[in-house]
Amino acid sequence: MEAVLRTRALSLWYGSAQALKGVSLDVPENRVTALIGPSGCGKSTFLKTLDRMTEVIPGVRVEGEILYRGRNIFDAAVDVTTLRRQVGMVFQKPNPFPMSIYDNVAYGPRTHGIRRHGELDAIVEKSLRQAAIWDEVKDRLKRSALSLSGGQQQRICIARALAVEPDVLLMDEATSALDPISTSKIEELIAQLRQRYTIVIVTHNMQQAVRVSDQCAFFLQGELVEAGDTQAVFSAPRDPRTENYITGRFG
Amino acid sequence: MKLCKAVLPALILSLSLSACGGPGNRVTALGSSSMDGVMGILAEQYGLDHPDVVVSVEGGGSSAGVEAAITGDAHIGLSSRRLKGAERERGLVETIVALDGIAIIVSEDNPVDNLTAQQLADVYTGAVTNWAQVGGADVPIAPVGREAGSGTRDGFEQATGTEGRCVLTQELISTGAVVEAVRGNTAGGAVGYASLSAVEGQKGIKLVTIDGAACTEQAVLDGSYPVQRPFVLVTRQEGLTEPARSFFAWAVSPQAAQLIRRAGAVPTAQEEGEEHGA
Amino acid sequence: MAHEKMLSRKRMEGAIKALFFLCGLTAVGAVLFISVYLVCAGTPAIQEIGLARFVLGDAWNPQQEQYGILPFLLTSVAGTGGAVLLGVPMGVLTALFLAKTAPPRWAGAIRAAVALLAGIPSVVYGLVGMVVLVPAVQRAFSLPSGANLLSAVLVLSVMILPSIVRVAETALRAVPREYEEASLALGATPTETMFRVSLPAARSGVATAAALGVGRALGEAMAIIMVSGNVANLPAGPFTAVRFLTTAIASEMNYAPMGSLWRRALFSIGLVLFLFIMLVNAALHAVIRGAGED
Repeated sequence: MEAVLRTRALSLWYGSAQALKGVSLDVPENRVTALIGPSGCGKSTFLKTLDRMTEVIPGVRVEGEILYRGRNIFDAAVDVTTLRRQVGMVFQKPNPFPMSIYDNVAYGPRTHGIRRHGELDAIVEKSLRQAAIWDEVKDRLKRSALSLSGGQQQRICIARALAVEPDVLLMDEATSALDPISTSKIEELIAQLRQRYTIVIVTHNMQQAVRVSDQCAFFLQGELVEAGDTQAVFSAPRDPRTENYITGRFG
Repeated sequence: MKLCKAVLPALILSLSLSACGGPGNRVTALGSSSMDGVMGILAEQYGLDHPDVVVSVEGGGSSAGVEAAITGDAHIGLSSRRLKGAERERGLVETIVALDGIAIIVSEDNPVDNLTAQQLADVYTGAVTNWAQVGGADVPIAPVGREAGSGTRDGFEQATGTEGRCVLTQELISTGAVVEAVRGNTAGGAVGYASLSAVEGQKGIKLVTIDGAACTEQAVLDGSYPVQRPFVLVTRQEGLTEPARSFFAWAVSPQAAQLIRRAGAVPTAQEEGEEHGA
Repeated sequence: MAHEKMLSRKRMEGAIKALFFLCGLTAVGAVLFISVYLVCAGTPAIQEIGLARFVLGDAWNPQQEQYGILPFLLTSVAGTGGAVLLGVPMGVLTALFLAKTAPPRWAGAIRAAVALLAGIPSVVYGLVGMVVLVPAVQRAFSLPSGANLLSAVLVLSVMILPSIVRVAETALRAVPREYEEASLALGATPTETMFRVSLPAARSGVATAAALGVGRALGEAMAIIMVSGNVANLPAGPFTAVRFLTTAIASEMNYAPMGSLWRRALFSIGLVLFLFIMLVNAALHAVIRGAGED
């Protein structure tokens, strides 16, 4: 099966501190890939390079390549706003805009030129359904998104990301700020979404990685130590550092 | 606590010392700020000649000066216009100490050098709106004046017979601003009026003659220069305190004439004072 | 000994609290005093002249017994409105620039310039306006005189810039970074993010900035007295020489004789101005609360 995203010797510096050291990883299509590792290992940084959100931070320098469907995303000819439409992101802390639920979900499509009310209505409904929250909010689309609970807000953010019909969905510790019930709802969601999207998640929760992902990549101090089938990585890790992390000797 | 006890009496003492000169040796003159130059020079000289007397001069405008004379708030009221009918009824004495020529100024690039009194009035009432109508270039006229109640404006309107009929493009609140406005008008079309002493030596503007007469001391004294106003010392008929009477007598005498001239006004020292009673 | 010390500390506490209370009372007292004084000083003339004739009369000519302040009212409205229309967009755009995209050295220089602008006294604005702006306006539009409503509006809009920029910048900086990141991650450009996320999120602060600007513009006198023409005309157009409520008082307070109807009418203008500002503030306050409640 196709690798939608491939990184080749990807290195990144925050100023003079190197956060990623020559990471080469393939992200397979229509699968859930989990990035795991202890705090500060670079997994979030790696995730953010995939949609060039690291460029928002001043003083960042990148070397290496990231190929999205064969094209290097750092090419001068690549339009970063188009890239970010195709590679969407959901953040750790739910961050819906201080607007109505409708306007939140419609924000992306409106940005990319869709103005007609009928079209927007359809997109909003579709996205909210995909995020498994349509029934809960369909009668109060005009209410502020901030009036919802944390778990609901995160699902709105997922709907918002889906509204632009991305190819890949990046989720940066998307459930770590939520309660267990919301967490499991979102994990179910991830399982459904992978039929249509390629999903990359960052998690510090190993059990979540086992529950949810097909592929797994273990990061340590900016290096990619080991990557492969989740079952394989967890039952028979090749690298002793992986084994130490998985068995909880450090974390 | 101890400090408070020491400071308080000291404060009171110094405050009362500052009013030194004693109320008995104080002469107050209040009113038209146009007379500041003249009164200032007179007060200063009198203070040098009589060190125990303090002559204080305050502004507030001609009307305020007349009021102050009526109420007794000041010994001498200063007015840059003659007393009005209603004011004359209140037992006031009007003494003209000097005459002030009101200069008419235009941009120095303006080819017009002379206006008749009628033309001047027409310019300010809006009957004439372009310099071409009075022998100048085809430039619209922008009349600049002072605000309502200003002694200079009252004097100008009295002298030109335009009371209540002036149409201005700007009403400024100081002579300096008037000069600046005339100088700064980029089309060179502005015309303004100001006290002669204020416009002498100013660059960028020139004085026009009215009815052929230039704004000089002689022309003002003999009346050939029509745009002039009196500097009036307003006092009460009942008489003044001794220091005030003494200052007054000196100010209207020939001894003060040179000083008045230095301040830019035309002394009337040879004229008799006029009295109007109730 | 210890007991005495405790007592004196308690007394100290009480004294300090009383001092704070007194300071607070002073502020309240001052406002109360000014309000009551204005009402007492301002109503007699309005009663004598007649409210309708005063507020709606279009001719102000005290020496001819005409006391209509409509020209001043309309001019204050038009002048403040114009200054806000010019100054608020300029100020908000500057604030956006400073808060979101300015390179650090530029940001520092602009902020310093804005701070300096805030410190310039009103009279200096008036002076520079008279010597530089008025001739420029005259030349640009081929007018007989450049002292008019337009010049006043231009001076006012520059004067209110600093207040607007400072408050709006603070409000924009306070917009949580997460909103902006979410917008960028959805494929919006930084500019789109500024206008569709940051600015709306900061709207209550921006409205406050605008309100500050309105307040400053309404109360200004010295800066505009030398550039507005100062003639009691109805503001028929941008090139009319006009007089504001504030400059009406400033121009004639020196000359109106004590105890005359003229002088009392000037106090009435003061009362009208005071009420006008209160009304505008209340309205803006309501708008700001509405904007903040979304």
